[in-house]
Amino acid sequence: MDAGLPFEQALERLEQISQALGQGGLKLEEAIALYEEGIGLVKTCQQRLNAAELKISQLNTPADEETEGEEEAP
Amino acid sequence: MRIHSVAEITGYLRELLEADDLLADIWVSGEVSSLSQSAAGHLYFTLKDGNSQLRCVLFNRARLPITIENGMAVVAHGRISIYEATGALQLYVDTVQPEGMGLLYLEFERLKAKLEGEGLFAPERKREIPIFPRRIGIATSPDGAVLHDIINIITRRYPLAELVLCPTPVQGEGAVPGIVRAFDSLNTVDDIDVVILARGGGSMEDLQAFNQEAVARAVCGSRAPVISGVGHETDFTIADFVADLRAPTPSAAAELAVPSRDELMAQLAAFGRGLSSMLSGMLDRLRQQVDDTANRTASHLDSVVGKYKERLLMQELALDSLNPLATLGRGYALVQHAGNGEVVSSIAQVERGDAIDIKVSDGQFGGRVSGAKKGLQAWMQGFPSNKR
Repeated sequence: MDAGLPFEQALERLEQISQALGQGGLKLEEAIALYEEGIGLVKTCQQRLNAAELKISQLNTPADEETEGEEEAP
Repeated sequence: MRIHSVAEITGYLRELLEADDLLADIWVSGEVSSLSQSAAGHLYFTLKDGNSQLRCVLFNRARLPITIENGMAVVAHGRISIYEATGALQLYVDTVQPEGMGLLYLEFERLKAKLEGEGLFAPERKREIPIFPRRIGIATSPDGAVLHDIINIITRRYPLAELVLCPTPVQGEGAVPGIVRAFDSLNTVDDIDVVILARGGGSMEDLQAFNQEAVARAVCGSRAPVISGVGHETDFTIADFVADLRAPTPSAAAELAVPSRDELMAQLAAFGRGLSSMLSGMLDRLRQQVDDTANRTASHLDSVVGKYKERLLMQELALDSLNPLATLGRGYALVQHAGNGEVVSSIAQVERGDAIDIKVSDGQFGGRVSGAKKGLQAWMQGFPSNKR
């Protein structure tokens, strides 16, 4: 699976795969390919959840330069 | 020095009065008198106080939280201006509350009614909070337990997210402009999926920044949906009303902002199990199909072979009936011309004296034609079935 796939899309893809597998009517090769993709997605998502570290950044607000003078409400 | 018209003076006074910040937004307490209602539904009354009077007009009566009567002690909010047609100085009232309420309460109720009237609290205005936010803006105090708690909760629940902190004072003079600027800054950042506006518990006075119109409008103007978590569970601020989602506390806001890792892990495991069981189910069905097909083919083959056998038998019988030897067995004879070997089936083929060979079921013998007679009637009359 694409490592950059957002988590949400990975879950959506998993939903699709399990729907397609559940509906049947697939050729065996197609079903196996979907299954492999799905299991791959599950593993990658689990790894990402386990390995993720929260990223924190801070916005510097131009607070101090313009404390006065813009009190008026919009 | 020059001579002015009345209109110039009333117009000048109006501009003067309306340019004054204090007069544009004031609360005035007094006793209601000379209350009257115009045909159009506007209320006119006078606020009295010792020897002073102030003319008041209220255009939108429907928005009044209370019914006013003559003699009632009230606090009216509005702006001072001059009605040029009569030259009267008036308080243009937008809301009235009974006397005796604290200013914080009065302001809270007034702003709440105003913003509600603008539709800012309407459920259909509320934006949905994304389930899997990638970037989360956080507007709160840089120091204190609140930020620490929020970071801890999101680290534990959903470390895939990225936090964009936007520190601001949340109490005191700098709080309102700080929060407004925090939203301005967050609005310049792309891809922020949700903003948490948080402040820990405190007195009603401590939370005042969150009851200010500028903050309420900043929350409304946020590009990303806003979760408010201000004070304790029992505190409701104007910011809570305009937020897309109100959380009872800052920690609850953090929990509402992200999914839970444990739940996601369980969900993923369930997906994995589901996929495996679906595939093995499919394999079982295929195996069954292969078995069924093999069985069907075998029985089909049996029946095909059976049919061929039957046909073969029929052919044998048919062939049997055509076998000349079988005919000879029933007493018929085969006559051949001894000279040219032709099978003699007509009297025209022989003449008296010709040598012929006669084959019967167990051999042959020779002979000679002694005579011929056309027609078979005479001969066939010998068979019982042909007797007329």
